[in-house]
Amino acid sequence: MESVVSFGLALLLAPLFPGVILKTKALFAGKQGPPLLIKYFTLIKLLRKGSVYSASTTFVFRLGPLISCAAAIMALLFFPFAGTAPLIAFHGDVIMVFYLLGLGRFFTIVAALDTASPFEGMGAAREAFFSTLAEAAIFVVLILFFRMNGALSLAAYFSGSQPISIIGSQGALLLLVIVALFMILLTENSRVPVDDPATHLELTMIHEVMILDHSGPDLALIELGAFYKLFFYASFIACLIKPPPLADPVANTLLFYGVIMLLYMVVGVVESIMARLKMDLVPKYILTAFALVFFAVILTLEIV
Amino acid sequence: MDILFAALLLVLAGGLAPLALHRWLSAAKVAHVSLVAAGCLTGLYGVYAAWGQSTPVLFSCPWLHSLTWSLSLDSLATAFLPPIFLLAPVIALYSYDYLDAVEHAWRTAVNHFFFSLLVAAMVLVTLADNMAAFALAWELMSLSSYALVLYDYEREETQRAAHLYLLFTQTGALLVFAAFGLLAQSTGSLAFAQIQLAPQAAKTAAFFLALIGFGSKAGVFPLHIWLPHAHPAAPSHVSALMSGVMIKMGVYGILRLYFLLNDFNPLFARTVLVLGMVSGVLGVVYALSKREIKRLLAYSSIENIGVIFIGCGLGMVGLSSGNRIMAAFGFAGGLLHVLNHALFKSLLFMGAGAILHTVGARKMDQLGGLMKTMPVTGRTFLAGSVAISGLPPFNGFVSEFLIYYAAFQGLGLQGPDFLLSMAAIIALALIGGLAAGCFTKVVGIVFLGEPRREHAHAATDPGPTMGAAMTLLAVACLGIGLWPEPFIRFAFAGLRDLAPLAAVSADVLGAVPHNLAVIARVFVGLLLALTALRRLLYRGKPVSQNTTWGCGFTQATSRIQYTGASYSLSIVDFHRPFIKTTTKFAALVRIFPGATQYSRKVEDLAEIGLHRLLVRPVLKIADKLRWIQHGHIQLYIGYIVFTIAALLLVV
Amino acid sequence: MINSIDLILVLILLAVLLSLGSSRMMALIKIMALQGAMVSLVPIFIEPQARLSNGGILFFQLMLLIKAVLIPGLLYMALNRIAIKREVEPLIGYHASLLVGLGLVMLSAYITRRMGLSLPGDYALLLITAITTTGGGLFLMMSRTKAITQVIGYLMLENGIYLVGTALTKHTHNIYLVEFGVLLDLLAGVMIMGIILHNINRAFDDVDTAYLEQLKD
Repeated sequence: MESVVSFGLALLLAPLFPGVILKTKALFAGKQGPPLLIKYFTLIKLLRKGSVYSASTTFVFRLGPLISCAAAIMALLFFPFAGTAPLIAFHGDVIMVFYLLGLGRFFTIVAALDTASPFEGMGAAREAFFSTLAEAAIFVVLILFFRMNGALSLAAYFSGSQPISIIGSQGALLLLVIVALFMILLTENSRVPVDDPATHLELTMIHEVMILDHSGPDLALIELGAFYKLFFYASFIACLIKPPPLADPVANTLLFYGVIMLLYMVVGVVESIMARLKMDLVPKYILTAFALVFFAVILTLEIV
Repeated sequence: MDILFAALLLVLAGGLAPLALHRWLSAAKVAHVSLVAAGCLTGLYGVYAAWGQSTPVLFSCPWLHSLTWSLSLDSLATAFLPPIFLLAPVIALYSYDYLDAVEHAWRTAVNHFFFSLLVAAMVLVTLADNMAAFALAWELMSLSSYALVLYDYEREETQRAAHLYLLFTQTGALLVFAAFGLLAQSTGSLAFAQIQLAPQAAKTAAFFLALIGFGSKAGVFPLHIWLPHAHPAAPSHVSALMSGVMIKMGVYGILRLYFLLNDFNPLFARTVLVLGMVSGVLGVVYALSKREIKRLLAYSSIENIGVIFIGCGLGMVGLSSGNRIMAAFGFAGGLLHVLNHALFKSLLFMGAGAILHTVGARKMDQLGGLMKTMPVTGRTFLAGSVAISGLPPFNGFVSEFLIYYAAFQGLGLQGPDFLLSMAAIIALALIGGLAAGCFTKVVGIVFLGEPRREHAHAATDPGPTMGAAMTLLAVACLGIGLWPEPFIRFAFAGLRDLAPLAAVSADVLGAVPHNLAVIARVFVGLLLALTALRRLLYRGKPVSQNTTWGCGFTQATSRIQYTGASYSLSIVDFHRPFIKTTTKFAALVRIFPGATQYSRKVEDLAEIGLHRLLVRPVLKIADKLRWIQHGHIQLYIGYIVFTIAALLLVV
Repeated sequence: MINSIDLILVLILLAVLLSLGSSRMMALIKIMALQGAMVSLVPIFIEPQARLSNGGILFFQLMLLIKAVLIPGLLYMALNRIAIKREVEPLIGYHASLLVGLGLVMLSAYITRRMGLSLPGDYALLLITAITTTGGGLFLMMSRTKAITQVIGYLMLENGIYLVGTALTKHTHNIYLVEFGVLLDLLAGVMIMGIILHNINRAFDDVDTAYLEQLKD
């Protein structure tokens, strides 16, 4: 029951936090910014509309939003929010989660190519390239975590006798991992140094340009999927830096969402003070994240 | 065993019947398809019947007085037989509509004959229980597949490809036979069972010789050169059979020999694992850079052989380091991937064949928008692409998951084994991402968007048997993804008769198959629910059609679409030290530039290496020795006399 | 909690990796300053506090001053004075350099294990760091075109040698004298290089060492 509630809460609250990013950015720019609930309003607005489809598209184009959203929801099913047991957990489920997210990406890319637009092809090519590198980096994180406590499951990482946490015995290594994971979060969710969600020049976009032709409820599904994906990565990092769990589940949940709020604010700050990287520097950026984690793994050879 | 012999006879009859009936083409084809199908179903029944028995089924008879012809059906053979028996009838069914040229009736009949011969030869290879039987079956397999590649024998390109293939396969066979010779010399027997008595040095030498030989058949990275030439030249159903099933015989050979040697040398394990990683990653990178569909698929076969090798290599590492669970998962993952790859690679080659058959274009950048005109081909190809990218809920994910599982087990090891396991995980993740990139390219460029040339408009779905064959395979791919339990158990059962793994029963599996099945079904359920929700949301809403948003540009033509080359450009360039690209482009200089050209060529590093290190020196030496040949027949006879005399004196 | 010496060593290694991946001269110099500071802190944390004499503490302060402030400062000045282009201009690309860096770490872990040296305490990481830093310095010198990056590579190499020294010797003060000598050498080297840079810059309007080839007869 607790698991169902925490999963439902995550589904419900995930669209709130991107509003936090917008608010932070607005505050940095000295503006008042949109209301915190802006993303909910956007979703409702989109859901009430109809759609215009390009004559070039086929059923694949309509399948894209469905699969990417379903994959993101599936990822949340495995996640132990605020320490409560997730709905599904087994040894090896992380591999499943990242491959499901990969499936979502596959269909987003294919849907983009379905429009016959050169811009969307450009975005698709970039997405395919960068996410491959990011995936390799993520699997190195999994290797490190397996070295640390022998688990291969999201739930087991953060529970049991040796939970992986910054306050554990290997905090210094985790610092590297957290930095790297944050870089991966920015990459995988098309945030600033890699992709600029607020720009209006299609040539420089990655994710936004791929969904140019979607509209109405389809676009709402994509947006929702993107919120869930971002929330998944943020929760991953939040579990690493969260202080030890409190006895009271309500307080624990509040603490967890507090940390997540903080993370989204950091994303907002990063977006305000950094410029987008030149496209050909992005691989180096992701490789740096990869190097950080790989390096942490090599250190476990000696320290563990 | 008797049932299997009956099956072989039926399959061979399916090859002979078209030769007799070639004047009535349809009758010949019907006879071929039905007899092959009957034979394969009988064979499947035979495998199923033998499965229940705890000891291997043996058969032997004397042959040519001195040699014995002995066969056995153990668990490893039962793991490799189903892909043959399942795929052969489907591919035969596909060939019914594919080979529809009436003027080539005799050629079609001959093709059917060699097809049956190849299927029978592959069955015999898996059954062989001594070196003589194995060698004979192996040669039969190589020669019949060579004849199959030569279908379009008038075309020079086909001839070259077939000769290259013959060269590779015969050199490989030579090395395999050399390995057998070494072992036979040291044990004094041709029986497989005696091999383990050979001394250490002979075992090591034999393993590496055979690894090169079998590796060239399987298409492992530096030995793969024949694959990307032979597949585009061969007819598509032949490519499907060769790439889906035949190259796996190389994997079978390595596994068989490894277990027969009974020597769990860590060096063997690490070599196989490293070969797997290299050919996995480079295979997919080269696949990404290719412009012809069939060539791309050939490189993707190299990648998948790499994945199978990673699985087997992890299994071997597990054996050499004493980690039985890792060994079981690695080998089982490899075996299951053999079956899975057979299914989706055949499916994809069939799709490529359907495009060739109806559109006639080989280059991807000339196609586009085929999903609308070829719905069956497009949908099945999409399913195959998701499956080959190793994504859930299709079958490719199931076997890759098992291999990942083995690799993570290997992280508990020390020293180089740990590093190799880690490298294997990273390689698998990279392969997964790159394969997704590669197949989004194929699907996106070929089937989606707008047609890039006129002739792509005229495409239609191919004949009903081709569509049926592709649909069957696509359903099988999804089926294994949704009901993986029996198939995972099948792969584990393949390890039953292998002595070092006999102790590891299916208990180590635990809830793994069940979990995979549940998640796949939950995902499909969620997807269906979302689809229903989407339908509900769209009720009563205005839905209209318009052109694609061109970001303000309204004169869009189909030629401004992203091409396959531009899609893969940055990924390929990223791997530059390992892939050689040459770009020719005359830069624009004047204010009103005239027509200009851009061309980009990707060369295979292994081909360059082979040419530089082997072909050129050999040619040089041959050039120097030209004086031997001067046209006097008397002198040639003199050579013969001298050689015989020398041999008699020395030996 | 992880102990502070490991933290410092991890930071030094990170500096090596980052320096291999950085494309800006300014960033490179900042990284070197960080590395210098960390390297000069190492002996303090290895040495049990009680055994540090006043003289020793003075030495450390001096070292910190030189490694973290003086030398980077000089480099910074050189960079500004000669108006060198901000780009690093590598011969071997950043991606490959990063991977080489990872390979170096692995290699030095392997070498450390193979040597099986009986180090004081369990400072295996110290030796790994030392070897990686040395190798990183050499690689940087090898793979970058500009003269000023050669100096930086040399500095990193010296940091590595210094760390090897700290790892392998018992910490008596006469050893420090030797190291101080090395440091002075280095300082002189930096100054001379600065002047040379200046001259090269005047003469050829560039500081690419490839132009040094023109000097040969």
